[in-house]
Amino acid sequence: MFQYYFLLGLRGLRRNPALTALMVLTLAIGVAASISTLTILHVMSGNPLPHKNDRMFVPLVDNSSLSGYTPGNESGDKQLSYRDAVNFQNSKIGERRSVMYGVGGAIEPARKDIGAFSSQGLAAYRDFFPMFETPFLYGQPWSAADDAAGTDVIVLSRKLAEKLYGDSNPVGQRMTLMGFQFQITGVLDKWDPVPRIHRIIGSGAFGSEDSYFIPFTSAIRHQTAHNGSMSCSGNREPGFQGTLDSECTWMQFWFEMASDGQRAELQNYLDSYAQEQRKLGRLKRAAPNRLFSIDEWLVHLRVVGNDNKLSAWLAFGFLALCLVNTIGLLLAKFSVRASEVGIRRALGASRSDIFRQFFIETTVIGLAGGVLGLLLSFGALALIGMQSKQLTVAAHMDWVMLAMTFVLSVAAAILAGLLPTWRACQVTPAIQLKSQ
Amino acid sequence: MLRMQNLNKVYRTHMIETHALRGFEIHVKQGEFVTVTGPSGSGKTSFLNIAGLLEEFTDGEYILDGVNVKGMNDNARSRLRNEKLGFIFQGFNLIPDLSLFDNVDVPLRYRGYNSAERRERIEDALAKVGLASRMKHYPAELSGGQQQRVAIARALAGSPKLLLADEPTGNLDTQMARGVMELLEDINAQGTTILMVTHDPELALRSQRNVHIIDGQVSDLVHKGPTLASSPAKAGSNTATA
Repeated sequence: MFQYYFLLGLRGLRRNPALTALMVLTLAIGVAASISTLTILHVMSGNPLPHKNDRMFVPLVDNSSLSGYTPGNESGDKQLSYRDAVNFQNSKIGERRSVMYGVGGAIEPARKDIGAFSSQGLAAYRDFFPMFETPFLYGQPWSAADDAAGTDVIVLSRKLAEKLYGDSNPVGQRMTLMGFQFQITGVLDKWDPVPRIHRIIGSGAFGSEDSYFIPFTSAIRHQTAHNGSMSCSGNREPGFQGTLDSECTWMQFWFEMASDGQRAELQNYLDSYAQEQRKLGRLKRAAPNRLFSIDEWLVHLRVVGNDNKLSAWLAFGFLALCLVNTIGLLLAKFSVRASEVGIRRALGASRSDIFRQFFIETTVIGLAGGVLGLLLSFGALALIGMQSKQLTVAAHMDWVMLAMTFVLSVAAAILAGLLPTWRACQVTPAIQLKSQ
Repeated sequence: MLRMQNLNKVYRTHMIETHALRGFEIHVKQGEFVTVTGPSGSGKTSFLNIAGLLEEFTDGEYILDGVNVKGMNDNARSRLRNEKLGFIFQGFNLIPDLSLFDNVDVPLRYRGYNSAERRERIEDALAKVGLASRMKHYPAELSGGQQQRVAIARALAGSPKLLLADEPTGNLDTQMARGVMELLEDINAQGTTILMVTHDPELALRSQRNVHIIDGQVSDLVHKGPTLASSPAKAGSNTATA
């Protein structure tokens, strides 16, 4: 009977075409408004490494001075000092770990047709690449020995490699960065995680990609200035070494544990480490030492702003308004079908048969609304994407949201159709048949 | 085929109680052609609606083809209606945006027949009423008489035991009415029991038995000989009581 009811539903679309069109359009507009804002939220709050959510962590310890400290208050600091970051790096805790900080410097291409230009990159350990699952087009990350020695090696983004070397494989070649010669060990393929969880602080969750990656130890050896924010609560001696020796926070760190469920182990290490540093007189505050999973980190850094959430609520409010309108239109559409209900009841349809028929008909309307809503959503997302670079990155519909469009549309139609469908079932056949 | 005993139907609003049927008694045997007459408001339609399981009765007993329908839920009543009964209405009551084929198909869908059986039954039924060549047409393309023939085909397609007709010729001119009446008599001759409400005394005279209803009660019963002697089912009709 499903097929029969579905065909009747399709036929029903042709009945009262103006009313049907109005209903589908109302539903589609409501769905498009909701889906486009929801897509932005979905992409913004998405976790590019969901399978690692329970084993990748950002550690934070509070190394601020006691000045202005009230026990129980959490520090607003979201980065680490060089000393803590290096200590974590040397800790051997977890399967992978990498300190990182943003760097910027001039690139001097070997090609005469391209002048020198500045570009942003990231200083990290080789663990960074497998930890964030970066795809390689050519070559590979540098070695652990390069990390230890601070060798001048470099991994390029695909975009930078194509700019400097065209389509050829540049692995093994040397290039000039910040006045130093770096040997290319690898070229990343297109890698565009959204949000860019490793660079939320610095270039932003939806900022442009890093053009190159160099060993952290090499960057420190060359006294490469950081490209990003720094927070200092105590004194800092002048010069690069002064920054390294200070309690200024300017580095980010990620641990990757071997398996899920090792958070407590990492927390124990962090607490022990902080306790030890307190004994040494470095850490002054008895503040909690915090770990953040990827999802927690996104929330902590408020990647999804309140204005985005408000937009989504407003869009759903608009969808609710559209639903109320759809209910009215469905009531009108179904009320003129009372005679048909009477006839069908007389011919053997039970109330549940009538319910199924009208239920499937509203589902068909929902599907039609979903198709139109999807088209409108693509249009709305294109318009939203034009507003800013950040939104351009976020305004992309994936398969989940595409399916969500249909689910939302059908659910909305079914919700709107419940009252009209229930009323259709209550038709007294005897009265309808006599009034014909 | 149909037996009602001491059946009452009371319509209640918060102010008024209206007794549509009072102590109603009727017994229609298999194969009979019974007409029901009576003035407006006498309870004819209530009787027909209750007989057709479209309305519930207040109290009493109603046995349809050996099944006591009292207290049946909606699903069971609908199934019984679909399997045992066929309806013909004064206003034809075809679904306008379905073709003749699809209109006749409606009760068969609820019966759960497969596609091949439905097609066979639809084609047979439309052939019986002389409209086999127009099964792709829509009701609006037909005359009133033809529409009523489609309604009869729809009622017959499921091979009902009892055909309930509510003034089936009321909206037709004399010639069309005669044609429809002859068709009903043919159907009756093939063994289908017919219960027909009519205002037309001439049509009432053509049936085997006429039940006259006044104030919700059977006031008069006219026994006649079988109109179609060829039908063996008619023989029992003389002994029917009301």
